Amino acid sequence: MTGRPVPMPTELSEPFWASARRGELVVPYCPACDLRFFVPEPACPGCMSPNWRYEPSVGRGTVYSVTVVHRAPGPGFDTPFALAVIDLDDGGTLLSHVDAGTPDKVVIGLRVRVDFRPYTDEITLPYFVPDAIDGLD
Amino acid sequence: MTDRRSPVIAGVYATEQALSLPDRTAMDLALEAVRGAVADAGLAPSDIDGAQVDWPGPGGVPGEGSSWARMLGRDLRWTSDSMLDNAGSRGLLKAAAAVRAGYADTVVVGGCKLVSRGAGPVGAGVPLEFTDVWGSYVIAQFALVAARHMHEYGTTSRQLAEVAAIIRNNGTTNPEAMMYGRGPYTADDVLASRMVATPFHLLDCCIVGEGGAALVVTTAERARDLPQPPIAVLGGAMEYHQAAYANPALLSEVGMLGRDAATRAYAMAGIGAHDVDVFSLYDPNSFEIIRQLEALGLCGEGEGGPLAASGAIAVGGKHPVNPDGGCLAYAWNGTQQMTLKVVEAVRQLRGTAVHQIADAELAVVGNAGSGAQHYEMSVLGRTG
Repeated sequence: MTGRPVPMPTELSEPFWASARRGELVVPYCPACDLRFFVPEPACPGCMSPNWRYEPSVGRGTVYSVTVVHRAPGPGFDTPFALAVIDLDDGGTLLSHVDAGTPDKVVIGLRVRVDFRPYTDEITLPYFVPDAIDGLD
Repeated sequence: MTDRRSPVIAGVYATEQALSLPDRTAMDLALEAVRGAVADAGLAPSDIDGAQVDWPGPGGVPGEGSSWARMLGRDLRWTSDSMLDNAGSRGLLKAAAAVRAGYADTVVVGGCKLVSRGAGPVGAGVPLEFTDVWGSYVIAQFALVAARHMHEYGTTSRQLAEVAAIIRNNGTTNPEAMMYGRGPYTADDVLASRMVATPFHLLDCCIVGEGGAALVVTTAERARDLPQPPIAVLGGAMEYHQAAYANPALLSEVGMLGRDAATRAYAMAGIGAHDVDVFSLYDPNSFEIIRQLEALGLCGEGEGGPLAASGAIAVGGKHPVNPDGGCLAYAWNGTQQMTLKVVEAVRQLRGTAVHQIADAELAVVGNAGSGAQHYEMSVLGRTG
């Protein structure tokens, strides 16, 4: 690996990436205990049921925490970038980048929405951008 | 509480620690660490009947701990194939449990890793599908916890910088430290160093280097006629939130990681947090010390910043932390930095540390990692 890493889908994650290619954010949902979680696991982290499924997410959320990374871990990244933890409104927590033009504009509590961007033929990445509808940008 | 099978630390050893050791191999550093710890305990290799030590090879079977049997010249009764079981409090507690139960009598714990510099991020060591692509790595993962702590409690970059300056200055005056003679530093120096990942400046972050370490655990009875004053393993506990780095560490989930372990370890040792004379804590960055002051019960949740910056963690302060300079200035060498934390605590309790805490009777070793998603601690005490 000489550049930015490329996610390698597994049998757990393939539906996530397939949905992402269609511009649709899905997260694992367990009907047995009514829990949305991320990342996909072999069984539900709430009740250990293997019978979870992917459900659509609203794709909107709030920045739980953010760090502006100036020194990237390897080649292939444009620094600085805002690495953030996003709490999705309907459940689940994702690591992503928030693109707000300048990374210093990304603060805890910022309202964001998903913004899919093609990365490779296989992989479309769920970035996030400030959610203008909420008027908090 | 103390009886003939009570586990004690009879020997410790640290190899040279440096940014790079181009003339050394991982195998010869591991051999030196084992030989050194066994000799420090006043024992011969054939006195060792358990080995939780890295085996990098070449020779034997790389990764297989039972390779040590041929080096020690006897059949072993206890071994480990996992690097994390071969270091720090986790390795110590597993060896102590084996000694206490009678599975083995005298166990050596330790190893070495040569960390090739410039090889990329320090992280999980395996591809992580939802982490790597975003450029997340160890410093950034801790930064996400620190940033939320600052948001919730008003912890400041200057408080972080004070922590870094205090511990770095311990290393500045420790001849064994990788950063010996490089300071002194002020908080302003830390704040003026280049930004790595907000809120961490370069001098908020630990060094990355190479080296090895080892320790020897045996029974109180066996240690009675050995040369070093035995250091008792009075208590210990481990806490695991989840596997490293697959998910980001969230302050809401891991901010107090270590509190449950500390509560159990203190109870086992029959002590309270404020009885501890010296702390040997994981310091991959300045913030992780602030978090541990809270988790270890030295202050309330969110109060670690002001407490640390007050000088309480300095040599001569109320809660001295990392008098050797810690990972920030003494050494970080992969997993064996965890063993170096035990080595410093043992030296403090023997009264032979470079920056000796006067009359140190009780020490806490705290190892952690990945943001921090895991915590392993031990309570060590001087005997007699």
